[in-house]
Amino acid sequence: MISPIFERQKTRFVKRASPFVTEEVLIEKLNRRDQQAFQWLYDQYSAALYGVVLKVVHDDELAKDLLQDIFVKIWKNLDNYDPQKGRLFTWLLNVARNTAIDALRSSRSSSRPGLAKTIRTDEDTVHIVDGQHHTLQPNSDTIGLQEIVGKLRPDRRQLIDLVYFEGFTHEEAAETLNLPLGTVKTRIRSALQELKQLFTR
Amino acid sequence: MNIPEYIASGILESYALGTVTDQERREVQCLSSIYPEVRKELDELTNAMESYALALSTEPPAGLKDQIWQKIQANTDEAAKQATEKETIVRPMPVLTGTYTYKFTWLVAASVGFAVLFFSYFLFSQLRQNQETTTALRSANNLLQGEVHQLRDQQLKEQQLLTLLRLPGTRTIELKGNEKAPSGDMLVYWNAASKQVTVEARAMPPLPADKQYQLWSMVDGKPVDAGVFETDTAPQTLNRAIARADAFAVTIEKRGGSSIPTLTNLVMLTAVGT
Repeated sequence: MISPIFERQKTRFVKRASPFVTEEVLIEKLNRRDQQAFQWLYDQYSAALYGVVLKVVHDDELAKDLLQDIFVKIWKNLDNYDPQKGRLFTWLLNVARNTAIDALRSSRSSSRPGLAKTIRTDEDTVHIVDGQHHTLQPNSDTIGLQEIVGKLRPDRRQLIDLVYFEGFTHEEAAETLNLPLGTVKTRIRSALQELKQLFTR
Repeated sequence: MNIPEYIASGILESYALGTVTDQERREVQCLSSIYPEVRKELDELTNAMESYALALSTEPPAGLKDQIWQKIQANTDEAAKQATEKETIVRPMPVLTGTYTYKFTWLVAASVGFAVLFFSYFLFSQLRQNQETTTALRSANNLLQGEVHQLRDQQLKEQQLLTLLRLPGTRTIELKGNEKAPSGDMLVYWNAASKQVTVEARAMPPLPADKQYQLWSMVDGKPVDAGVFETDTAPQTLNRAIARADAFAVTIEKRGGSSIPTLTNLVMLTAVGT
């Protein structure tokens, strides 16, 4: 199930491996489980997954370790992926995100109890650092996407980041932002609708 | 299901953000496979999130790719090794178990065998006993049924007689056999009002198949046919209307009876007392 929109975006942004591969072809290749199949998978998705992990944990060394775990996990569990239920990329993103969030949570709860708070309050600084990181090493494929994301209102973007990259529930987000739960729910919905509009335009 | 309302509920956005419960996730997946409009909205939302994540793309450090591939291979090798190890552990098991265990196994097997044998014998004898009891009960039942039949017949007979005797005007006349039938003994119940005659052959000598006893009522010295009867002991109501009788007589006649009595075959004669 690859929608034409995504197809178009891919040709614009995901074109990384020189012969362009669609998800169907890739999945077929992955079933062989050989080194070439792994290289396809890695070349196509490692940057995207690494970006997500970095965004969650804000730590290069930890992100490196986690990316290894994530690819091993993906390789082991490829059989569990069901194309009927969604695209491969969505599934990969979820594996990466969940692994990173789990690591973040365990580090929050165990050794450094103050860390959670630090990360939360430093949210804005981190954004700036992230921005600098990207401007220093511009990724030609994603510049267009970054511009589009930049158009999203900051409070909307903060909500998406809290929920998607930090694994906050709606209740936790409401508590952190000092907003009523209903407002948070409405804003999350409108944030995603805005994002959708921006990308389908 | 109201689909536009479902789409507007915000659940699809939660799904795209990965904040749904397992229950909600199955629900969204199910509905998106049924309703194209749900599928379309969900595709657009996950697309947006994919693009959002893509915008963060950062090249991982060089060399990580080879490192991961090595790790994957080590992982696969380890899994394969574990599988073979498991197999080799299984094989020496019988060798490790000594002769003691071997004998013990036989002992247990033999005991179980004997136990089964004894139990079978026990069951078999139980079965035979039950069968015997069943046979005994069946014959006893047959006997009882026979007796019940006899009693019922008897009761019916008594009932008939009782009804007859209760009728006002019924007279009972006992007839005794003469020298031709010394053991003959029978009763005649006669009711002049209802003109009915019933006989009860208490003990009549048996007759050849072509012969029958016939009853006559004597009116002014003349015999009147009162019907034929059998020698069995049940009361028999004869189908002749007898209004008058001075005496009753019995002759042996051909089967079906005669119109005139054969006097040489007269076996009984008794007057009706007044």
